[in-house]
Amino acid sequence: MAERVPIREGTFIESAKGGILLANRCKSCGQTFFPKSSICFNCFSEDMEEMELSRIGKLYSFATAYMPSVHFQPPYTVGMVEMPEGMRVFGPLKIQEGERERLRVGMEMEVIIEKLWEEGETEVIGYKFKPVIS
Amino acid sequence: MREVAVIGIGQSVFGKLPQRNVVELGRESVWTALKDANMSPKDVQFAYVSRLYDAMVTGQTILKEVGIREMEIVNVENACAGGSTALLGVWRNIALGVYDIGIAIGVESMTTSPIASKLIPPAKEDLEGQLGMTMPALFALMARRHMEEYGTTVEQFARVSVKNHHHGCLNPFSQYQKEFTVEDILSSRMICDPITLLQCCPNTDGAAAVIMCPMDIARRYTSKPIKVAACVLKSGNYAYLQDDITFCPTDYKAAMEAYEMAGLGPDDLDVVELHDAFAPEEIFRYEELGLCNRGEGAQLLNSGATELGGRIPVNPSGGLLSMGHPLSASGVRVVVEIARQLRGEAEARQVANAKTGLAHMMGGAVAGLDVGAVGIQILTA
Ligand SMILES: [Zn+2]
Repeated sequence: MAERVPIREGTFIESAKGGILLANRCKSCGQTFFPKSSICFNCFSEDMEEMELSRIGKLYSFATAYMPSVHFQPPYTVGMVEMPEGMRVFGPLKIQEGERERLRVGMEMEVIIEKLWEEGETEVIGYKFKPVIS
Repeated sequence: MREVAVIGIGQSVFGKLPQRNVVELGRESVWTALKDANMSPKDVQFAYVSRLYDAMVTGQTILKEVGIREMEIVNVENACAGGSTALLGVWRNIALGVYDIGIAIGVESMTTSPIASKLIPPAKEDLEGQLGMTMPALFALMARRHMEEYGTTVEQFARVSVKNHHHGCLNPFSQYQKEFTVEDILSSRMICDPITLLQCCPNTDGAAAVIMCPMDIARRYTSKPIKVAACVLKSGNYAYLQDDITFCPTDYKAAMEAYEMAGLGPDDLDVVELHDAFAPEEIFRYEELGLCNRGEGAQLLNSGATELGGRIPVNPSGGLLSMGHPLSASGVRVVVEIARQLRGEAEARQVANAKTGLAHMMGGAVAGLDVGAVGIQILTA
């Protein structure tokens, strides 16, 4: 089995419920950060605590690219998802056949963790968002 | 602070010019600016020079070709705002009385750079870049959001491109020189939905140069000195503080600071040159520069106000969309263009009776910030 490495340590975990993004919060002023920040940019406190973000957020905007990027071949779709904790998170969207036309700003999206790309024998894993099927 | 004047302007032709290197392009812009200021190379006391790709002592390499040596040359980089940064260095040194005559140069040869015909690649440590963020994707996300928030349509984005390409046909320095219809724009290749190829600025080679001096000696060199009424450079703020990705607070604040410095407001402007790397962007910038209320950018465009002949023509040069975008040159080029307009020398693209103009450039996508840097200058005749 291929070795799995995270795109960036400490940005997510895989739980029984599914993918969870890891953010942190300033214990002095309450400001939240994703990805985690070593200090609070608002009040410069170093007193930060890790927090798990909700698994479901709302699609804030999306775009389908018809040009390759470093790791993705076109067409691929990316988006920004507004999390209930108040931050907008950018990431690739996982779209099933025919789902692209049904994407709408405001729809619910859930965090999933899966392979982003391969580097030789290594699988780089990270977070994506996929529409919540109801 | 001393009042500072633009007394010499020069630029190379913009286009895909792989046979002409950075030194030739830069030399052409500097030589033209020196002639324009009726000035000997010996009169220049210092220089700020901007280039992004493959830069090493660019200023010295260019200036030695016009006989300029043994002086203070500062080479700077600030993504697409690099040219604005060079201008700030020259303007402030003269305003503070450190020097009397300086030259700001911006130059870029995209076709011979390491990223020729590629998208600008993300840095390895840029998490969003690794996850698929590109410049077109960023602007497509903003465009989609503006459509959602304010009901803006893809036809309106396309109309920005139609307007600027029309203006570019009147500008001999422009790369495209071709008219397009809304249908042409929308049926061109999809780059990142809703942005099509003809809503993107091309890769461009080119250079621009501006010579400045204190206003009280400007008439030795020119009969039409142009006053630099404001010169502002501002780095971005945290994106988590931004309530809406279609409105860049740093751009807005830089504009407000420039208006305050110049002692005037957006209603006093006769002409604007701004950063339109992607067509939807021009609509966002109208709102940030205060040319209209927030959310009303598309209406301002629809009214015809920003076309040549309208109330406040924007990008009469053709903008980045038609002129092209040699990254570090563009911040200097917008000042060259506004100075031309205020002197009444813009020929077919002249804005009638232009007395006050604003030059704007911004750039550098930094994950976590609303923008890399914004540069704004306000000039008056
Ligand atoms: Zn804090």
